[in-house]
Amino acid sequence: MTWWSFVLILVWLITFVAGQLFFKRAMELSSTTSFRNRKMIALLGTGVFSMTISFLLNLGLLQRFDLSYLYPFQGLSIIMISLLAAVILKEKLTWRLTIGTLLITAGVVLVSMS
Amino acid sequence: MTTNRPSGFGNPWLQLGLNIICVVLYELLLKTGARATADLSQTWSWTGITGLASPLIWLAIVVIILDLMIWLYVLKYIPLSIAFPLSRVVDVLVPISCWLILKEEISSLRWCGIALVIIGLVIVAKPAARLEERL
Repeated sequence: MTWWSFVLILVWLITFVAGQLFFKRAMELSSTTSFRNRKMIALLGTGVFSMTISFLLNLGLLQRFDLSYLYPFQGLSIIMISLLAAVILKEKLTWRLTIGTLLITAGVVLVSMS
Repeated sequence: MTTNRPSGFGNPWLQLGLNIICVVLYELLLKTGARATADLSQTWSWTGITGLASPLIWLAIVVIILDLMIWLYVLKYIPLSIAFPLSRVVDVLVPISCWLILKEEISSLRWCGIALVIIGLVIVAKPAARLEERL
């Protein structure tokens, strides 16, 4: 893996994680306020934009790597999302959820190393 | 979290399952489409934009949009820190489908990683079941 591929993978992950957090925030708003809420649409739009960048980068990466090699990198996003959901969205992170999440990530990293 | 959670087809756990099927489907479509368009342009291929020349990629985009709507629905009812780790069952299903359908190789180390993911999923699924009882 070249230095450039590493940067592309990193940006792909960050835009993906950011998109998920924007989506969850938007859906939280949609259940408490009306669906036409401007802030909710802005959040959803930002999420879609972030995901679109992530999608195109993913496509570029898929052109040079095996899917079964590349795909598990997304597993790192599990830790990032769980942590950020706890910090930013104030979701409750139990020890059980944390251990399960860490195991999934460890497995995913193992898959990507092999 | 809303208290009046819909049942039947609107059940968020069922929708999470549909979401997972969509993800496996579009990942396989993307890989097949990307493989077909990998040599179109040296200059632009890193952006992924050349992939749009393949009809399979467009079919994948349709599935992705459908999947996005399902996922947003899931997020309305299930906390992100539970829904997201559970949705990663695709990290097991995608390599296995690659092996079965795309004929990619899976080494023994990779199988070990897949096993770890499954154990982690089972552990995460437990608080999810408890969450269901509270609803």
